[in-house]
Amino acid sequence: MSSIKLIDYEPIVGSQTLEELYLLAEGLREKRIKMVNSTAIGGGVAEILSRLVPLLNELGIPTQWEVIKGGEDFFVATKKIHNALHGEQIHFPSRMKEIFLEVSRENLRNTDLDQDMIVIHDPQPIVYIEAKDRTSAKWVWRCHIDISNPDEGVWDFLKGYVDQFNAALFSSPRFSKRLSIPQFLFFPSIDPLSDKNGELEPEFIDQVLEKFHIPRDKPIITQISRFDRLKDPVGVIKAYRMVKRYTDCRLVLAGGEASDDPEGEVVINEVRTEAKGDPDIHIILLPPTSSLEINALQRGSTIILQKSIREGFGLTVSEALWKKKPVIGSAVGGIPAQIIPNLTGALVYSIEGTAYQIRYLLTHPNIAKKMGEYGHEYIKKEFLITRKIRRYLLLFHVLSHPGERVIHL
Amino acid sequence: MEGNPFYFFTSSNLVELTGEKADNLEELVVLLKRCTGSAIFYHVFQSYRDRHFVIEKYHSDFAQWISTSLDEEPLAERLGVLDVRDFTSIRSLRESTIKIIEEYVQKFPQIKDRQGKTPFFFCQSVSVVIPTRHIAWRLEDFYQIIGKIGISSIHYHLIEARLRLGIHTNDFSYWLRDSLKKERLAQRIEGIDIYLHTLEEIRRMILQYIQDEMASRCHPLS
Repeated sequence: MSSIKLIDYEPIVGSQTLEELYLLAEGLREKRIKMVNSTAIGGGVAEILSRLVPLLNELGIPTQWEVIKGGEDFFVATKKIHNALHGEQIHFPSRMKEIFLEVSRENLRNTDLDQDMIVIHDPQPIVYIEAKDRTSAKWVWRCHIDISNPDEGVWDFLKGYVDQFNAALFSSPRFSKRLSIPQFLFFPSIDPLSDKNGELEPEFIDQVLEKFHIPRDKPIITQISRFDRLKDPVGVIKAYRMVKRYTDCRLVLAGGEASDDPEGEVVINEVRTEAKGDPDIHIILLPPTSSLEINALQRGSTIILQKSIREGFGLTVSEALWKKKPVIGSAVGGIPAQIIPNLTGALVYSIEGTAYQIRYLLTHPNIAKKMGEYGHEYIKKEFLITRKIRRYLLLFHVLSHPGERVIHL
Repeated sequence: MEGNPFYFFTSSNLVELTGEKADNLEELVVLLKRCTGSAIFYHVFQSYRDRHFVIEKYHSDFAQWISTSLDEEPLAERLGVLDVRDFTSIRSLRESTIKIIEEYVQKFPQIKDRQGKTPFFFCQSVSVVIPTRHIAWRLEDFYQIIGKIGISSIHYHLIEARLRLGIHTNDFSYWLRDSLKKERLAQRIEGIDIYLHTLEEIRRMILQYIQDEMASRCHPLS
């Protein structure tokens, strides 16, 4: 777990923000909270909880973190459910459903439910809600996935569980569905003190660019994403070529291979073919432990792209905006929540639009700079971990006052 | 001592998703008619607060969406000039918004079912109001606290107050007038154009007005 303290965020968010967190936490000091998810290490949810749980404890709110246990067959089932919620049409055999239920119930038998609030992250531990009657706790389902267009069979199965919670939390209005329970907007967050987002020495940025053989002789356009067709790396190269007719620049495509994607290598080959050996296109394969390198590549860039065809929330946009970089992003997934058009960046709908916006920002560096500055302020306001803590504190108060629209503490 | 003290509060809101969305103007009007007052309040006042660091073309989410998603600038402009200071109830704000859209659609019927580039998602908020530890008894205390209080507190007392209290004023002016008998200062704060300034700029303006007031007290003839 993280050893970072709340006070470490004060130089970034200001004392007023921390003061308000302490004020909100005051009435919650005796509340016990449990977070449940499916993995302790790796993945965005574990990363968030590893920071969030100690900070909530520091605020005087006893918070536990439990990881659901299961064998390979259980996680095969949960992966299927995850993909189905994302919209993949799947076959979910009854034996798989039985394994999912049996393992969840086995976990439940060994769980301490003597809590005031239980937050279930994603569908893996969702069956825990079967124990709702055994405790007076409020139950919350935090859904990190876009469930706007799920496989209907799997959704019907899960909906029976979702409807029993006291509330559900979604990352974007686009990701939610109509439900019988209250739903709240919980943007994901970035940690400004993490390796991926913390300040870097200019010398380190230079070293990283040198290591990847990227000269800084012309503007650098960068997309950080795994090599996946849904991130449209080939489209990014096409946009770069359209720009290059007018303005000289370099393109950096950096990311990992999706380990669970058998097409990963095929996509990289497609990207290399499209690059046609252009020395100004830098294709960089990064191992999963490359947070500092990603940070440096973003900071060393002139413009950041996120030209996805489909996207989850797309937190790479927040990461880039935090570094005061102008961002051009597709209007998909959670990207429109992060880019206020023409203010914190540009929203685009095509390769041509992407190329035009790159040209525009390269020829108007003052506007690009202003966008980056506004973007930084917007991320500070809405997408930092301190904002997430505030949302959780507010949620606990709201669930303690059901039906009230204005709660006076 | 010059009357009752001013207790500073701050408010935070949790955004609730209603699950309702409009893809065009026709659907927007249907939802405007049936959504909660809290949803209107959120889209006109509260989401604006979340972008307080910048002056956008339109403070209202409805005008903003009509501009950026439907490219229907003349209608966005009409909604954009609705001044929240002219309304003392959500009902009247809702009615005026609907009337402007309906009149426009009547004039240009071809646009009523044109699809926006992105949908308009109706949200509403639940507010949590917390007392801060700051209390002002005199103008000097008030000045000190305004300089350091969180920006949410300024929004709460200056902007949210108008609809909460149903009056053409704000908490600051009300207290300055009622407890400190500072009519001129109360009026100057009421006159701040909340659309053309960020909340940080508004904070600086209030501080300047108080300084002016304190200076005139020292030099009444100047």
